[in-house]
Amino acid sequence: MKLKVNDVHKFYGEADNRVEVLKGINCEVNDGEICVLLGPSGSGKSTLLNIIGGIESADTGCIDIGDDCTSDMSEKDLTLYRRNHLGFVFQFYNLVPNLTVKENIEVCAYLSKEPLEINELLKTLGLYEHRDKLPYQLSGGQQQRCAIGRALVKNPSILLCDEPTGALDYHTSKDILKLIEEINRKYKNTIIIVTHNNAIKDMAHRVLKLHDGQIVKDYVNETLIPAGDLEW
Amino acid sequence: MKRNPLNKRIPRELRKNAGKYIGIFVILLAVIVLGSSFMATMDSAVIAIEENDEECKIEDGQFEVAQPLDEEIFAKLESLDIYKDEKGNSNKNDALPYTINAVENYYCVDDSFDKDATLYVFNEREELNLPSLFEGTLPAKSDEIAIERLFASKRDIKVNDKVKVNGYEYKVTGIIALPDYNSLFKNNQDLLMNVTHFGVSVVTKEGFEKFSKDTLVYRYSYEILDENGEKPEEVELKDQRQLAADIQKMLMVEGVELKNYLIAEDNQAITFLREDMGKDGPVMQVFIYLLIMVIAFVFAVLTSNTIEAEAAVIGTLRASGYKKSEIVLHYLSPTIIIALLSSVVGNLLGYTVMLEPFKELYYGTYSIAPIDIRFNLEAFITTTILPVVIMIIINWTMLYGKLSLSPLKFLRKDLSKRKAKKAIKLPNVSFIARFRMRVLLQNKVSYLILFVGIFISSFLLMFGIGMEPLFDHYVEEVNDALPYDYQYILKAPYEEDKGEKIQTYSLKTWYELGQTDITVSFMGISKDSEFFKDVPLWEDAKNDKEQLKGITISLPLAQKMGWKEGDEVVFKDEYYDKEHKMIVKNVYDYKGSLTVFMEMDSLNELLGYEEGAFNSYLSNEELDIPDEYLAKSITRDDMTQSITQMLDSFKGVFRILNVASVGIYMILMYILTKTVIEKNALAISFMKVFGYDSKEIGKLYLNATTITVLVSLLVCIPLELLCFKAILVYVSSMIEGYIPFYLPKGVCATIILIGIVAYFAINALHIRKVKRIPMSEALKNRE
Repeated sequence: MKLKVNDVHKFYGEADNRVEVLKGINCEVNDGEICVLLGPSGSGKSTLLNIIGGIESADTGCIDIGDDCTSDMSEKDLTLYRRNHLGFVFQFYNLVPNLTVKENIEVCAYLSKEPLEINELLKTLGLYEHRDKLPYQLSGGQQQRCAIGRALVKNPSILLCDEPTGALDYHTSKDILKLIEEINRKYKNTIIIVTHNNAIKDMAHRVLKLHDGQIVKDYVNETLIPAGDLEW
Repeated sequence: MKRNPLNKRIPRELRKNAGKYIGIFVILLAVIVLGSSFMATMDSAVIAIEENDEECKIEDGQFEVAQPLDEEIFAKLESLDIYKDEKGNSNKNDALPYTINAVENYYCVDDSFDKDATLYVFNEREELNLPSLFEGTLPAKSDEIAIERLFASKRDIKVNDKVKVNGYEYKVTGIIALPDYNSLFKNNQDLLMNVTHFGVSVVTKEGFEKFSKDTLVYRYSYEILDENGEKPEEVELKDQRQLAADIQKMLMVEGVELKNYLIAEDNQAITFLREDMGKDGPVMQVFIYLLIMVIAFVFAVLTSNTIEAEAAVIGTLRASGYKKSEIVLHYLSPTIIIALLSSVVGNLLGYTVMLEPFKELYYGTYSIAPIDIRFNLEAFITTTILPVVIMIIINWTMLYGKLSLSPLKFLRKDLSKRKAKKAIKLPNVSFIARFRMRVLLQNKVSYLILFVGIFISSFLLMFGIGMEPLFDHYVEEVNDALPYDYQYILKAPYEEDKGEKIQTYSLKTWYELGQTDITVSFMGISKDSEFFKDVPLWEDAKNDKEQLKGITISLPLAQKMGWKEGDEVVFKDEYYDKEHKMIVKNVYDYKGSLTVFMEMDSLNELLGYEEGAFNSYLSNEELDIPDEYLAKSITRDDMTQSITQMLDSFKGVFRILNVASVGIYMILMYILTKTVIEKNALAISFMKVFGYDSKEIGKLYLNATTITVLVSLLVCIPLELLCFKAILVYVSSMIEGYIPFYLPKGVCATIILIGIVAYFAINALHIRKVKRIPMSEALKNRE
């Protein structure tokens, strides 16, 4: 599903404290692409991701997904939009603490009419052996895999990942990136990754570089480096 | 239909926070058990009384005469001949379409039954006021007797025991209740019942014939019938009164010496129970709802804390497409489960185990027929559906409000509804003091609920501990106030040198708060009264510009009615259907009863009696007045005994209240302080990491809770005293007296002490828990 961002502006604060964090963003992400939103802290990348995800609204401009436009949607419509089209992965995994790995994934399978087969997904995630464990019994990487599985089980058209490796060490981060790459190949979802890690851009089909609320670079990678070969 | 996998979390959540949920469950259960057993018993008792009144053919009225009526008068009485001329046509335009069925209801009085009690022994009853049997059989032989249940139990009289009545021995064959004595008032004017010292019984006709005539009272009871001789569905009160007035007139015309006349509606022995039960119900309902609302708020605080703790998860679920209603329903589930479970278990216990103690409350106070517990829809709604609905509404409102925030706010764990404000500026005090203030501000909602919880439970405690000394004090005050030891009420004029003559009379006045008429004793005393030396008496109204009679009223009457000097007040004489308007000239500090003092002849003039007329003697020594002149003698002990007996019947309730209040206190304190401490557990661990020791952390966090608890305990006391006084006004509105406020100083200190001890015991548990949280865990949980 093609994603189009049309002249999105976003302000925070009031009066003298009013700050424009997104200054007219325009971009497109094609169906099945991995897109990396890159930028330093405060550049507006997470805000843009949240607006794309319908959990924050733009002050002006809109997001077009297929034939839908988020600015026309009510709160209920936005919920359905997230339910039907999106999957979220956050820096902190936000798993339900008193549900097992499998149950955490089932939580989102419940929302989909045609969810992915959970046991197969668990195997893809490398969590099949840990499916009956509670989150506190898992390592950070395993918890993030579980969070990805939870987002993915609905088989969403777009997977939004906000700093998915932000809380992980180098090796675990690479494992997660490899998993994202594999998922993209296997399920053909559009994946948008917000990161401040410059190295990750090399595994993305498209790179959008933000600075001070504006896109300073928007390009398509000619040659992709597999996630496993990324170095930082 | 797919089952939401989130539901699997609910039993785990209940297990994880079992302490808190069990605490809430126990309080809710206690409230529902209390409510359901009380309501079920009360409603069943109301039904039992109504059915029993019908089955046992309760009378519509009664009168007592000096000598038995002869047959001719009796026949006239039954056909209500007064309305008819010789041809049988009505000779009165306003003739009532009724006749009566009158029956002899003679009884013998044994004033020294079992040495210190009075027993009325009724002749066998066949048509009206039939006995209900609790145990054994009704008497069949001349030496058999059936005794009223309450009196029998107080006197430890059982079936097959032998009792002596006026010198004759009888075998007790049955334990009964009489519908015309469901409240054991010996005299209709009595302030309170006296179940220990007054009882009723029934013997056979042959058994009754044994008694000497001078121990008999000739009472006639009647039921009102319509023109076809059928019992009408309802007879208006004014018609009942009119009928009674006509009967009295007729009897007087026939020269009958009428000693007493009461229609059922004015007979305390019949009406007191019904009125008393009707009054308790709404109070209990309000009490239940209030407690449930407090519990619901406590639950809301717990859920709110869970939401704060799980904000990021909720944000993720919302971002993933979960609807707000799905999340609200999910977090509402523990409330629904606990409320439903408490309702079901509470009602089961309420309708089974706890029924007996509540039945006992009625059985221990009233002489009512056996209560068969029945299902009552209103009680079911009050104790099952409404508690659940109240819990759901309050928690749903909180949850819906809280979950209205955007998913992003949840993800950022920013659950404040208002826009970020600057931190409240605190006074320039020490760091420790400012830190505590911040903790207080951060937990203000929890602390507010804690305050309400402390208020409610310590108020219950005050009620439980305070009522007993209050009643004792009341008895003491009444006893001290009485300036005489004996009062003799005459039925015929008799001269006696030793006593002081007074004129007494009872008039009614409308009591707005109680929405009923109350009886006030009028005392006509002489100016040189020995017993009421300094009571200001007022000349008649001739010189008074208001042309109203001036009266001095007793302090309890002034307090109960809110009357003060200069107020114009109205009294009704129901017997003569007259109204008397008077002016309060003085409030006199006499705590004995609701009394109006007047100069004796002024009262005589008011009542249309001759100058110098009197009907009582007051004395400090026993007077020797022959029985034929004496209607009633009242001793100091009689006055205080009846009040003491009322206290006895309430003692069980006070004890239940004491235990319940301490229990509720401990549980609420545990839940709410735990909530505050848990909320800060992470921060406490950080303080440990920074190098603070347990003592210093205690100063920062735990002492803020301690301060709140101590301040709440202290601040609640004056509020509780205000409520206590308000409740006393309410209690006083239900009785024909006024119970002044009194609470020994030690009670407030005891409440505070119990509160402090309970808090520190609970706090010790929390401190242990906080100490066990490892520092590494705190750091690991930091996201």
